[in-house]
Amino acid sequence: MNLSLSGVYRPHSLPKLLTYSSFSTLCRPFCYSALSSSPTCVKPQVPLFLRPPIYSTKLCDLKKWHDWGKGVALSIGSTFVQSDDGPDSSMLCRELKWLMEDAVVDHSLGVEDDDRVKMRIGIEGLYCLWKQRVQERRPFQYVVGCEHWRDLVLSVQEGVLIPRPETELVVDFVADVVSENEDLRSGVWADLGTGSGALAIGIGRVLGSERGRVIATDLSPVAVSVATYNVQRYCLQDKIDLREGSWFEPLKDMEGKLAGLVSNPPYIPSKDISGLQAEVGRHEPRVALDGGIDGMQALLHLCDGAVLMMKPGGFLAFETNGEQQSRALVDYMKNHRSGSFCNLEIRADFAGIQRFVIGFHQ
Amino acid sequence: MGKEAGPNGLIVKQRSGLACGNSSFHLSDRDRKALTMRFHGTFIFCRCLSRLPKRFDSQSEFPHPDFRRQAPFFLRSYSSGIPLFNLFMYSEAQAQLSPELLNIMEKRLSAIEYRTACLNKFLNQPEASPSEYAKANKELRKLSGSVDLINELRTKQKEIDGLKSLMAESSEDKDMLNMAIEEMGQAIEEERRLQNLLLKSLLPKDDADERDCILEVRAGTGGEEASLFAMDIFRMYEKYALKKGWKFEVVDIAQSDLKGYKEASSAIAGVGVFGKLKFESGIHRVQRVPVTEKLGRVHTSAVSVAILPQADAVDVQLKNEDVRIDTYRSGGSGGQHANTTNSAVRVTHIPTGIMIAIQDERSQHMNKAKALKVLCAKLYEMERLRLHRSRSKLRSEQIGSGDRSERIRTYNFPQGRVTDHRVGITYHSVDDVMQGENLDVFIDALLLQEEMDAIATFSSSQ
Repeated sequence: MNLSLSGVYRPHSLPKLLTYSSFSTLCRPFCYSALSSSPTCVKPQVPLFLRPPIYSTKLCDLKKWHDWGKGVALSIGSTFVQSDDGPDSSMLCRELKWLMEDAVVDHSLGVEDDDRVKMRIGIEGLYCLWKQRVQERRPFQYVVGCEHWRDLVLSVQEGVLIPRPETELVVDFVADVVSENEDLRSGVWADLGTGSGALAIGIGRVLGSERGRVIATDLSPVAVSVATYNVQRYCLQDKIDLREGSWFEPLKDMEGKLAGLVSNPPYIPSKDISGLQAEVGRHEPRVALDGGIDGMQALLHLCDGAVLMMKPGGFLAFETNGEQQSRALVDYMKNHRSGSFCNLEIRADFAGIQRFVIGFHQ
Repeated sequence: MGKEAGPNGLIVKQRSGLACGNSSFHLSDRDRKALTMRFHGTFIFCRCLSRLPKRFDSQSEFPHPDFRRQAPFFLRSYSSGIPLFNLFMYSEAQAQLSPELLNIMEKRLSAIEYRTACLNKFLNQPEASPSEYAKANKELRKLSGSVDLINELRTKQKEIDGLKSLMAESSEDKDMLNMAIEEMGQAIEEERRLQNLLLKSLLPKDDADERDCILEVRAGTGGEEASLFAMDIFRMYEKYALKKGWKFEVVDIAQSDLKGYKEASSAIAGVGVFGKLKFESGIHRVQRVPVTEKLGRVHTSAVSVAILPQADAVDVQLKNEDVRIDTYRSGGSGGQHANTTNSAVRVTHIPTGIMIAIQDERSQHMNKAKALKVLCAKLYEMERLRLHRSRSKLRSEQIGSGDRSERIRTYNFPQGRVTDHRVGITYHSVDDVMQGENLDVFIDALLLQEEMDAIATFSSSQ
């Protein structure tokens, strides 16, 4: 995928973390596997908090917007909660505060009502965004164009799954394992179905500055584009290789070589998709959520692939729908792929749901 | 020692002696004067250093305070009403410690010399195991600072003896005698300087002084007015922290109906933060006309402040199995099913039952990190208090003993003054103090008092 400067980035909208040297790497084509499908040029959107402050509005107008937004949030009460487990007023009020933090440049005190405040979006844009949030139930993270996850801030947009807080734990599992295992730490890890690149970047940082590398794959060109943007923002382009394609398909050159395999694959049973919270069901990509009839389609495929692709002693961690799926997955790995895996464990998330299957390839 | 009002309207009242517990030890007036002179000098000097970094860039400049040049500039800015300072300003000599104190110190110095000799002998033995070797080396390193000073002192004392005999011998030779007298004067000065430095190095230090801290402000009695004052106090510390170049990061705020703070906490990071702020723990009392008061009456409310040194998991030996982490669990299945911005985390320390809940960071990971930070600080503080109470009664009565229910300061708005009850200092501008200025007036005096308490402990422990 070639990125030409004029097509994708206006110079002054470059993310702050890009230095001039990595700026020039934008002009070079990325090294994708030759097996990937034809490159599609998709523009990643710049998150609100990184956009240039070329707008301004009077403080009194901003306050008016904030009061209006708060009124709208309070009027929701618990209607969303009751209908589909959506957000309540207090959550919406907090989101409004964060929206304002991302949109407004200077939060200094002692500004007069008539003074102009620098903004990254016009005041009309703010009205529009909040309406989208409350009326269309557009996810907050898409509204501000980013998600705070672990100690990162990742760009997200429609077409890319918003990284979940539960998934943060997978990086901790990897960190624990590599802290005692130099061999794994300097190996090649794979994050399949990377979406925004969250796990790839999280693991990339854990593997440190030694030889460890990460290959991240995703079926969706939008995801690959956004993940690339995020990887560059964290200056990890030398450590993380992004490949477009389905699961293991872009990894044919890594057969028997993977030191680690992580994934948060779609695991929701198809029948449950229609009943999902509006933010998820109406706006997030179905392909990242739907796991087939029992929700396990992708997980089983990953297990099968792991047998072939991982090296002996390699570590794997998968996120599942919890409880039943975790047990079913471990059963499958022990009974249908017996001898392939060892030290299999099920770990809970912080809400107490048995959500993760971790283990080693024998 | 009476009261005197200086040019800034500063009233200083000295504490009269230190009666302590069962011990019959009492600092003589002469010792007190000497110590006050010395420590005020050291204080002023340290302030010189901190304010004029360019003038003192080499280590060798440190031991030669020239108070004729620097002292008056700073002395005038506060506390100039104390007669002791006048004494100090015009005397160029180093303070002399009393014979009793010197005696006690001498015993300690001999003990250090003996210990050093033992360690050196041990290290010269080939049979020492590597771990014993390392331990001995570590102890030697710790003592090395004192040992160097002791050696310098011994040398100087020999020099003085030599000069004494020279003076006795050359009572006829006027020139020789004068030269000897002059050198003797300098040598004695130097001996005193070394003794002062050694005393300082022998005093107990608080390791926690270097750490960052957690500030907790809680509205006490007085309803809404207390909450509003809690907010004012919280902001006062924020401004003070910013002036010091420290980082002030809000952890949690619980607002009252009138937008005051029922409770508020923050993490303050910087060099030596805890050492400076530790005296702020206690009850701060305010007397003013509340905004809610229609008849203009003055009300009294109270706010409690707690300063905890920051610690990490290693400091408090926090084990993973001792900590339970919970997150908000909606009715649904979580994970991919849910889109939520509620990443509140509650951390529970199972052995003690301490529970910390943080919700205002934008990621669960960051909420968890903050909660653990606060938990570690609380555990560390619990351990420190436990140690403190197990020490001598003398120590526990001293400044900084951590009694949170002690009323330490009163802010009187109608009369425009702030009084610290522990050192008896009043500053005549409430507004300045609330803007984060001039807290140093109290803090410096409290630090001085702490040093004097430390000397009392040092002396009584022999």
